[in-house]
Amino acid sequence: MNKIIALLTVFICFACAEKNKETQKDLSKLSWEEITTEANGKAVTMMMWNGDSKINDYMQNYVTPKLKKEHNIDLEIVGGQGPIIVQLLMTELQASKNTSDVDLVWINGETFFQLRQIDGLYGPWTSQIPNAALIDFDNPFIGFDFQQAVNGYELPWGNVQMTLIYNSATVKNPPKTREELLAFAKEHPGTFTFDNHFTGLTFLKALLIDISGNRDELSGDFNEEKYTKYSAQLWDYINELKPYLWRKGEVFPENVAQMHQLFATGELLFTMSNNDSEVDSKTLEGLFPETSKAYVPDFGTIQNSHYLGITKLSGEKAAAMVVANTLVSPEAQLTKMTPNIWGDGTVLDVQKLTPEQRQQFETIPSRTRAPNRKDIQHKALLELSPEYMIRLAEDFRKEIIEN
Amino acid sequence: MRQKRRYRNFSNLLFIAIVTLPVASGLVYALLYSLGFIGLLNKGFTTDAWETILLGKPFWSSLGFSFYIAMVTIIISLTVSLSIAISWRKNLNKGALSSLIYLPLCFPGTVMAFFSYQTLSKSGLLSRIGFQLGWIDDLRMFPSWINDAYGIGIIITSVLLITPFFIILFSNLYTSEKVEEYVQLAKTFGASKRQVLLKVTLPILLKKASVTIYLFIIFVMGSYEVPLLLGRQDPQMISVAILQKIQKYNLYDIPKGYAMSVLYVVLVIGVLFILYRKNKTFFKTEMKHS
Repeated sequence: MNKIIALLTVFICFACAEKNKETQKDLSKLSWEEITTEANGKAVTMMMWNGDSKINDYMQNYVTPKLKKEHNIDLEIVGGQGPIIVQLLMTELQASKNTSDVDLVWINGETFFQLRQIDGLYGPWTSQIPNAALIDFDNPFIGFDFQQAVNGYELPWGNVQMTLIYNSATVKNPPKTREELLAFAKEHPGTFTFDNHFTGLTFLKALLIDISGNRDELSGDFNEEKYTKYSAQLWDYINELKPYLWRKGEVFPENVAQMHQLFATGELLFTMSNNDSEVDSKTLEGLFPETSKAYVPDFGTIQNSHYLGITKLSGEKAAAMVVANTLVSPEAQLTKMTPNIWGDGTVLDVQKLTPEQRQQFETIPSRTRAPNRKDIQHKALLELSPEYMIRLAEDFRKEIIEN
Repeated sequence: MRQKRRYRNFSNLLFIAIVTLPVASGLVYALLYSLGFIGLLNKGFTTDAWETILLGKPFWSSLGFSFYIAMVTIIISLTVSLSIAISWRKNLNKGALSSLIYLPLCFPGTVMAFFSYQTLSKSGLLSRIGFQLGWIDDLRMFPSWINDAYGIGIIITSVLLITPFFIILFSNLYTSEKVEEYVQLAKTFGASKRQVLLKVTLPILLKKASVTIYLFIIFVMGSYEVPLLLGRQDPQMISVAILQKIQKYNLYDIPKGYAMSVLYVVLVIGVLFILYRKNKTFFKTEMKHS
């Protein structure tokens, strides 16, 4: 027993011994030329959600070779999103690691909020990169992440709006309001649901905003009183809907990929996507039926942006900044926006681009199954403060799943 | 003699360093985290997480559900494997069956879970066959075997995964424990087939395999991938419930996740300790012949 205690003490001492942090160059005092020189020949590890083959393809076959060719940077991509990133960085900070295993992260909303909470991000850095000048920071859907000012700690990378996807061959008049949705579910029981992850929660947020009666009612910081008032009405509505949901609302798809599968096999008449153009890419892939279409109901859907952050303990901050700068370059943004490549909305203000570049953005092959951005912009809802999502996730479990 | 003792000391130390120490450190870490002593967002000692877990329903319902899944799985698996090991004994020793029986062992849990999902879900293979044959009018009429309240999908998959282990174990025990000779002896004393099975074959095999059976109950109780893919959000098996607390959106839930994991480990060790106290030779892998 004594031996165990002695060894345990040694073990813990070793774990705590790495306190001394390496001192790195202060990048805020370097010019962009000096940063690119510093970045040359380095390897950057980027942690991102890798659940979509088109996105992976874009990163591996377009971005990675481009970075190698233009800046001699090796980009290594590892899988992980949201809570995984937060957990990893928390553990590294707790273990007093010198350098993080991850340099660049693809994040937004509550992940950004939590990473700021644990002080896991490096910054401010975004004003140092040249392409930041082209970003449409004045657009509230881009300059603010879940009502939080980005303050130079994350760089907008893409912008999307949530849509509902249906098969136009089987559903002629998709529901446009909450009342119509309830009526539709009653008429076609077991064919509608939402997932128990980001997409489902984003859908719940849109309903919550609709219930509040005013798009700006819930804007700003989290308000307990308002949340309690409107969420009670939301759970009443969901509970009314519950018996007519897929599997009588006793179980929900764990993620959007499972929901897509259920839609593809015809078990569900609707699926959802946080990316308005996904309907086109998934149909081109052959997963969704040819007659699939995406739409935004009258109560609107959340439009948000996703961002790039550099970890506080990154050992390759300069190279990570160069990677981020490349990812928001007009060329990379244009390629990313092409529907059969990724179809992700740009964060650039096209008015700030050269006439030639602007024309390229304006003549991108249009979507065939997703509505045009201009047509759904008026139904776009701003993201709510991250605590709303954290509370909705908890209460959804208590009020609906365990009820 | 001294050299032998030194060697034994060294191997004990190696065992402690490689096995005991990391596990014990993990447990101490989880305990300190759950009590607020460490953790980036913790603000000092608190028993909040423990109170929520001990007094709330979710931990106990997850524990109960995990135990139910493990018991049903083991009972079905034992029934199937004993039947096969005893009745197909000759076929198990040679021919195609002796190799085929190892096949499910090649499937990782995740792959087997996907296989079950594709076969047993409402839009899966069986449902489609039923629809094509006109047994059901709509795919949605197929019974819920995946993500269902009784964990049917989890049980079927776990049975598929562990039954081959038991078949191999029992058929080996049958030979090594010379069961055949006892059977013949009992028969010469005039025992009926039923008596031979209930009084000779089953008691020998089950007694010899008892430690393995207990360990498999713990193994199934703690399984993660299969219930994650085939289970539902409520009730959840214990590993899924713990990881959700640790990895979902609310960072202030992490201490609760750690409290759940410590409590689960303590309960399992407690049960093993009681079993050990009841029968001290229980966990000895080799029997001393006097």
